[in-house]
Amino acid sequence: MTLNFAKLFACAALPLALASAPAAADIKIGVLVPDSGPGGLFGPSTRNSAMLAAERINRGGGINGEQIELVFADVGVPPAEAAQAALRLWKGEGVDAFVGMHDSAVREALLGRFSGQVPYVYTPVYEGNSCAPGLYITGETPSQQLAPVIPFVMEKESVSKWYLIGHDYNWPRDTNALAKQYIAGAGGEVVGEEYVPFTVAEFDSSLQRIRESGADAVLITLVGGGSVGFNVSFASFGMDRQAIRLGTLIEENTLAGIGSENANRLYSSAGYFASIQTEAAAAFAADYSAAFGSDAPALNGLGQSAYEGLMLLAALANKAGSLDVQALDEAAEGTAWSTPRGDNVLRGRHMAQTIYLADGTGGAFTIVEAFESVPSSEACPS
Amino acid sequence: MSLALILNLAWHVGTLALVALGLAIIFGKLRIMNMAHGEFVMIGAYSPVITSSMGLPAWLQLPVCLLTVGLVALVVERAVVCRLYGRMFDSLLATWGISILLREAIELIFGRGYQSVSLPIPGTIQILGSGYPAYRIAIIACIALGFALLAWWNSRSMVATRIKAMVENPGLAQAVGIDTGRLSRWAFVFGCCTAGLAGLALAPTIRIEPMMGLDYLIKSFFALVVGGLGSLEGLGLGAGIIAGTQSLIGAAFNQTYGYLAVLSLSILFLWLKPDGIHSASR
Repeated sequence: MTLNFAKLFACAALPLALASAPAAADIKIGVLVPDSGPGGLFGPSTRNSAMLAAERINRGGGINGEQIELVFADVGVPPAEAAQAALRLWKGEGVDAFVGMHDSAVREALLGRFSGQVPYVYTPVYEGNSCAPGLYITGETPSQQLAPVIPFVMEKESVSKWYLIGHDYNWPRDTNALAKQYIAGAGGEVVGEEYVPFTVAEFDSSLQRIRESGADAVLITLVGGGSVGFNVSFASFGMDRQAIRLGTLIEENTLAGIGSENANRLYSSAGYFASIQTEAAAAFAADYSAAFGSDAPALNGLGQSAYEGLMLLAALANKAGSLDVQALDEAAEGTAWSTPRGDNVLRGRHMAQTIYLADGTGGAFTIVEAFESVPSSEACPS
Repeated sequence: MSLALILNLAWHVGTLALVALGLAIIFGKLRIMNMAHGEFVMIGAYSPVITSSMGLPAWLQLPVCLLTVGLVALVVERAVVCRLYGRMFDSLLATWGISILLREAIELIFGRGYQSVSLPIPGTIQILGSGYPAYRIAIIACIALGFALLAWWNSRSMVATRIKAMVENPGLAQAVGIDTGRLSRWAFVFGCCTAGLAGLALAPTIRIEPMMGLDYLIKSFFALVVGGLGSLEGLGLGAGIIAGTQSLIGAAFNQTYGYLAVLSLSILFLWLKPDGIHSASR
């Protein structure tokens, strides 16, 4: 009996010892990723990018000399459930800070629960203007993705007549409101604007309207499967000869769904592409495939944003000397750090960053232009 | 009405009729509320991906599609559906479970990401000054021909009558020598194969991912609700009304109103005329 008990104890203790020996983590960071739901496609690349960031941070001495450990939660669920999951990490597992890659509805629910008590970095592309104590943002906002890009594209492709199409919710509408200013500022005009419900999977009547509008440029703020369906139909009608396309959420997975034959003159504007050729980005991509294998989930701007979020948290906490929200808030403005995206500075709690314009022609992104240190006009008053 | 609009209408009505055909057979004739219908469309759409991942030439897409979908349908019928004839509500739950299983299986093999299938007939045909995709015109023609053949066969064949006898009075049907087990099995497999064919035909024109099937299940269901169960005429009418409403109102106003009209129409029919416009089986 005693022998059995000892054996049992040894068996139980061994994995425990193995697990805790190398980590000895002092800081727990909750990483909120979409494992399920419509964003589920981005779950694996987000997790991988976060793990790579944690490894990098720990190798460089951790946060204020303490090692970090990641705790994941699925937030690809309705906002109330996502908030519950985050609360369990915070109150139950003693998480000291959060990094989240999820939609805006979940962000608002989380902000309500956190109420400035815990640092929270929000990482994906979003509509801007979200400000709260303890909230720091790495994701691109519409002004960053469009202000330098629209005039550049209009000049490069000699286009001026824009048709704006997006899904019917606030991100596309906010993006287009800004786009109209930039288009007018560059001497162009908007010849049509359209919002489609998420339930619509075919775009023939929209394509007909675009053709009749005489547009020579289309700004696409459709997301996910809708973007794939639209772009496939667009090309099959030969519309790629009439107009160029510019999207602000066309990442590597979406482009793969659109297919090489349908991506002629399809531009995408974002802070990250897997094909960025800078030394830092190439090293990151090499580390990613070394850690997760060559057939790992493809790198993309949304998944990679989790890396950005953790790196911001580390830079900010090291600058402030703690993970206390008030100290972080005071230290936030002007925090500078470098990542695969380039050199970043925190301005108004938002990340001023390099914006890349990529051409998807041929089914793979080629970087056409890099615009450095683009600030967000939807940042918070400091 | 412009020519492009008419062709769009023909495309949407034709593809919806093809997508809904399988459900019309399985739900309309066999009384199995097949919630996995959309997943057979999905597997059909994946068949070019399956073909190229096995290193086979592109012309084998059609046989690969029929073989894959047919085999899956046969297994599903033998394992589950064959026990559920005459138990419509149970069949709904069971096939819902099967639909999840099929989605997960595809996700396990090909991942959650989007796939793309290239057009077998690229380019556009110039008709009256505006370009229309050549592939769509070819598919519209094939669907029209296919349905003409099916209507001709249906009017001459005894199979449809046997199925009707089997559904309405299984005992008597067996007594007069109809092998009901075999008949329902092959009717189920045939229905699933038409869904797979629809997926294969649509594949180069749509997004392809494991969750795509749901859209097609819902649209097919709407078409059957409006058109009525159990006849090719009802199927045609339903597909025409549903796809036509979406296309025309979507073109005249916007897509939101188009979808709203489709939903309202389906609810009105379920409420006021639950048997649809043309119901042959009652």
